[in-house]
Amino acid sequence: MLVQQIINGIVVGSVYALTAMGATLVYGIMRILDISNAGAYAIGAYVAFFFLLQTGSPLVALVTGVALTAVFGFLVQKFLYAPLMNKSPNVSLIAGIGLFIFLQDFLRLVAGPQARELNFGTLLPSIQFPSLQLTLYGTWFLILAATALLLLILWLLLNRSPIGLAWRATAQDLETAKAMGINTNRVVAFNFILGYGFAAVAGILVGILYNSVYPTMGDVPAYKMLAVIVLGGLGNPLGTVLAALVIGMAETLIGGYVGFFLPRDAIAFVVLILILLWRPQGLLGRRRSS
Amino acid sequence: MKSRFSLSLLILILSLGLMLAGCGGGGGGDKKPAAENKTPIKIGFFAPVTGPAAADGDSVTKAAKLAVEKINKTGGINGRQVELVAYDDNLKPQEAVSIAQKLTTKDGVVAAVSGSYSHTTRAAAPIFENAKIPMIAAYALHPDITKGGDYVFRQSFVGTAQGKAGAFVAVNMLKAKTVAILNVDNDFGTTLADSFTKYFESKGGKVVSRDKFTMVEKEFNPVLTKIKQLKPDLIYMPTYSGTGAQIARQAKELNLGIQMLGTEGIDSTMEFLKVAGATADGIVITTNLNRESKLKATQEFIKDYSEMAKHAPDMVAASTYDCFMVLAEAMRKNGAEPEKIKDGIYKIKDFEAATGIIKGYNKLGEVTKNVQVQIVKNGAFAYYGEITDAEIITPPDK
Repeated sequence: MLVQQIINGIVVGSVYALTAMGATLVYGIMRILDISNAGAYAIGAYVAFFFLLQTGSPLVALVTGVALTAVFGFLVQKFLYAPLMNKSPNVSLIAGIGLFIFLQDFLRLVAGPQARELNFGTLLPSIQFPSLQLTLYGTWFLILAATALLLLILWLLLNRSPIGLAWRATAQDLETAKAMGINTNRVVAFNFILGYGFAAVAGILVGILYNSVYPTMGDVPAYKMLAVIVLGGLGNPLGTVLAALVIGMAETLIGGYVGFFLPRDAIAFVVLILILLWRPQGLLGRRRSS
Repeated sequence: MKSRFSLSLLILILSLGLMLAGCGGGGGGDKKPAAENKTPIKIGFFAPVTGPAAADGDSVTKAAKLAVEKINKTGGINGRQVELVAYDDNLKPQEAVSIAQKLTTKDGVVAAVSGSYSHTTRAAAPIFENAKIPMIAAYALHPDITKGGDYVFRQSFVGTAQGKAGAFVAVNMLKAKTVAILNVDNDFGTTLADSFTKYFESKGGKVVSRDKFTMVEKEFNPVLTKIKQLKPDLIYMPTYSGTGAQIARQAKELNLGIQMLGTEGIDSTMEFLKVAGATADGIVITTNLNRESKLKATQEFIKDYSEMAKHAPDMVAASTYDCFMVLAEAMRKNGAEPEKIKDGIYKIKDFEAATGIIKGYNKLGEVTKNVQVQIVKNGAFAYYGEITDAEIITPPDK
C-alpha cells in the first residue's frame, strides 16, 4: 500500500510539474504570472481530441496538439503580452486572466460543454502485482517518461546551448541583455512557444490519463500551477519540479492514510501555507535582499 | 445642441409610443373577457449553461425547449401559447438570486422552473416564495429548498428520501453490510451521504470510511487504494458524472472488485457512460428515469429528446421536462395565474410523466413517486428494480 501510494504521488507530482513548467518558463523571463497558460493546457487537449477524431492516429493528434498550441503561444506573446510589456505587471496579469476565461468559453461554444473522451486506446498495458497489491497503469509510464524526457531536454537547452545562455541573460536583466546584443524579442518568443508547448503536452497527457477533455479542464491547473510556481521559488524550473513532487506526494499520502477529510486541493494548499511559513522565498528561491 | 434636441425628441416619441401601446393593451383587456386572452404565458427558467455544470445546463435547456414545444404543439394552455424565459446562472447563487428577481419583477412570468443545482436553487427559492410565483426545482435535492413556503415545489426526490432509497438498495438488493462512502463536498453529496448513513446504520450496516472531494476532482487513486485495504462490501458514491466516471475507471484499474452504488448524479449518458466506458458496467444507481418504462409519457420523451439532441436523455433532462408538463397540467385544469397554478399543482394526483407516475405533492411541495434503480449494462442504463415501499418513497412533510 505504501509503495502504491508513493507511486500515485510521483505520478500526480509529475503531472503538476508538467502543468506548471510552461508558466514557470514564462514567469522566469517575463515576470508575468501567465494564467492563460492553463487555457493553452485545455487548447492542446482539444486540438489533440479533434485530430484524433479526424485521423484516428494518436501520434498525429499529439504532434498537432503540441505544435498548434506552441504557435498559439507565439501569437499570445506577440499580440497580447508584447504590447503590454511596458505597463505594470498587473495589466498583463489581468489580460492573461481575461484570455483564459475567453478560451474556456470559446471551447465550450465550439466543442460543447460535455466532457468528451480522449481515447488513445491502450498505449501501454497496466501491470498488476497481486502479491504486493500493486497496480501500475500503462499511462503512468507514459507520463513519467514524458516528464523525464521533457525536463531533460529543457535542462540541456537552458544549460548547454547558446539559446539557454541568451535565455538566462534575458531572465536576469532584459535591458542589459538587449544592450549586449541579444535578440531578446526572439528569446521571449521562443520562451512562449516552449511554455505553451509544455502546457499542451500536460493537457494531452492528463486528458489521456482521465480519458476526458472538457472546456473547464484548465480551472484547477490555473490555481494549482500558481501554488507550484510559488512554492518552487517563482520561475525556477528545478524548484517547480521539486515543489510539484512535494505537493503531489503530500496530497496523496495524506489522502491515502488519513482520507480526503478535506478536498484534495485544500490539503495541497494547507501544505503550501505551512512550507511558505517556514521558507517564504519558496523551496529553491533566493531570499531577496531588501 | 442639435443632438441633444434630437435625443429629447426621440425620447418623447418613444414614450408616446409606449403610452399608446399601454393604452392599447389596457383597452383590449377591457373589451375581451379574460378567458379569451391570447397573449403567451411566460414561464421562467434558469440553468447552469456556463461554468462547471455546463453539460447539465445544456441537457436541461434542451429539455425545457422540447417541453415548451410539446405543450404548444398540443394546443398550448387552453389556446394560449407558452413562452420560455431562460437565463444562465453560471452555477453561482448570486446569479440565481438576480435571475429570480428579474423573473419575478420584470419578466412577468407566472411560474418558474429551476434547472440548476441545490445551492443555486436554494438561494433563488425564497424570492419566488415572496413574490408568490410558483417555482419547481427539477432535480436540486437539498431539503431546505421547499421549506420556505407554499410556492416552491420539487420534481425529483428530496435528498433525504434518495439517500434512504440508496441505503435500501444497499441493504435489500445488494446485501451490503459494510460501505465506504465517497461524496462530492457540496449540498448534493453531503445530504445524500448523511441520509444514506442514517438509514444504513439503522439497519445494522456499518460505514467504514467517508471521504469527500470537490466536483472538479480527477484523482481517486490515493483514496481508492485506502478503501481497497478496508474491504467494504460496497462503495456508495453520491457525486456527479465527471468525478463518478473517474472513480469507476480508477477502481477498475486498481482491480478493486467492489460493487458500486451511485445516484441520479451520474445518470448521464454523455459524460458518465462515455467517459467511464466499459468500467461502468455493473454500477447500480438510484434515479427517477426508468428507460424501460411502459409509460407512454416516458417513451415519447425518450424518443423526442433523442431525436432533438442526437443522444439519449439523462435524468436531469427528464426531470426538467416533467416540471413543465406538471405546470401545463396545473394551468390547464386550474388556470394560468400564479396562485391558481400553485393550487393546481397541489391538486395533481396520479399524473403520468416521463419520470413515472406522480402520485402527488405533499404540503411541503415534495413529490411522491417510485424510486428507479438502474444498472449499467453494455454501456447503457437498464432496469434493475423499482422501490415502491411507502416508507422509503414518501417524502418528509416538515
